Amino acid sequence: MKDKRINKVEVKNLTKKFGDLLVLDNVSFKIKKGEFLCVVGPTGCGKTTFLNLLSCLCEPTSGDLLIDGEPANPKKHNLAFVFQEPSSFPWLNVEQNIQFGLDIKKTRQKDKKERVERIISLMGLEQFRNSYPHQLSVSTEQRQVIGRAFAMDPDLLLMDEPYGQMDIKMRYYLEDEVVRLWKELGTTVVFITHNIEEAVYLAERILILSNKPAKIKEEVLIDLPRPRDVADEKFVKIRKYVTDQIKWW
Amino acid sequence: MEKIKKRFISEIFYSILSLSSIILLILGWMYLASKRPELFPSPQETWDRLILFLEKPIRRIPLYSHVLDSLRRVGIAVLLACGFGIVLGTALGWSRLVKSTFGTIFELIRPIPPIAWVPLLTIWFGIGEFPKVLLVFIGTFAIVVVNTAAGVKMVEPLSLAVGKIFQANEFQMLKEIVLPASLPAIFAGIRTALGVGWAIVLAAEMLGAVSGTGFLITKGMSIGDTALIFICMFIIGIIGALLSVLASFIERRICPWKTDR
Repeated sequence: MKDKRINKVEVKNLTKKFGDLLVLDNVSFKIKKGEFLCVVGPTGCGKTTFLNLLSCLCEPTSGDLLIDGEPANPKKHNLAFVFQEPSSFPWLNVEQNIQFGLDIKKTRQKDKKERVERIISLMGLEQFRNSYPHQLSVSTEQRQVIGRAFAMDPDLLLMDEPYGQMDIKMRYYLEDEVVRLWKELGTTVVFITHNIEEAVYLAERILILSNKPAKIKEEVLIDLPRPRDVADEKFVKIRKYVTDQIKWW
Repeated sequence: MEKIKKRFISEIFYSILSLSSIILLILGWMYLASKRPELFPSPQETWDRLILFLEKPIRRIPLYSHVLDSLRRVGIAVLLACGFGIVLGTALGWSRLVKSTFGTIFELIRPIPPIAWVPLLTIWFGIGEFPKVLLVFIGTFAIVVVNTAAGVKMVEPLSLAVGKIFQANEFQMLKEIVLPASLPAIFAGIRTALGVGWAIVLAAEMLGAVSGTGFLITKGMSIGDTALIFICMFIIGIIGALLSVLASFIERRICPWKTDR
């Protein structure tokens, strides 16, 4: 099946050096609009650098990052980022936290209310609306952070192992949650993880990075129907295949 | 059930213990007063002196008015210290440039104890209201600045990264992230400033004033009225404790996320 969606993000020959150390070597790929892309790779292969480049937190040594065909510009394009550690603001309650990015962007009051309400009801956070982060469990806090990112209606949503610190039950739950939000809102997502099962469960496509200096070793398309079953034969096959491609042990 | 009962009994036991320590203190006081009545007024005498004072105010200024005079001086000074201190403290914690210019001057002046300013302030401004307020300001300003700067420095890098991702400009960073994140530290500073300010205003009033609790207590000394000194000490202690309670109350209102922790 040919993917007919238009290209949202285009990465061309992206290279990053820190002094003499080559971290990212001539990486090129495209992301379709509304695609869910997972990036896996051995630990220390430069995943964080990769993300920082995509989020424009640091400048590439050479190469281009295009969004909608134009060079990515944080001032113009809307980028959102979910960090590994829960990054909600302790002085804001759930509603205010979700609204934070919209406040910064000075979104119109009416749109702001609408979007925040949508996210709150999509994530079932109504009962926590007025709670402060320290009153929430870690998973609820992370849900709220994810809600904050989706509320921005970002051109590109980057997630850096957001479930790295969750136990397995919470992770399954939150994985379903993020899939639901993504389907509902059609956001373009790049999700970094070192958990291969998670990647196969979530992604439409997986990019496998090689050891440092990181290159794209392989692309794996996953067209399993959702909701996916981790015990399904095809699922296990893909998971094993991806694992074999990484082999960092 | 048995456990609850046991805890109840131990609660009562410790309450009685703290109550008896107070009783012991008063008994000790009464004992000393009976031995050396010229140095120690008895609790009864102190009480009578308080009643007399309420009926016949010193310098025709009622007691509450003395207290309010002191509190007003502290209040104005601490308010100003907070206003300027939070601004300078934020700038010091945020900007290298400010730290290496104003920060250096500030670090030079800060170690001078506020009381050391008294002679200069008296020569410059006499013994009116202004030098007293200024003295308290000098003593409390530094506390607010140091605490604010520390709070600003300790803002989570992750919080700043979130701001950066959302493309917050410098002003939004300060207003929406840095300031709220440092509020608890700033409040710790304000609480200390109130306590210290209360101490300094007494010193300022003891060195020359016609009203205030500091004036009253030196008045007691000059006429050898130990009962009056006792009353003043009680009042000063109570007000100090109340100021601390007030600071906590305001902190809870302004930092609600800090409450039920």
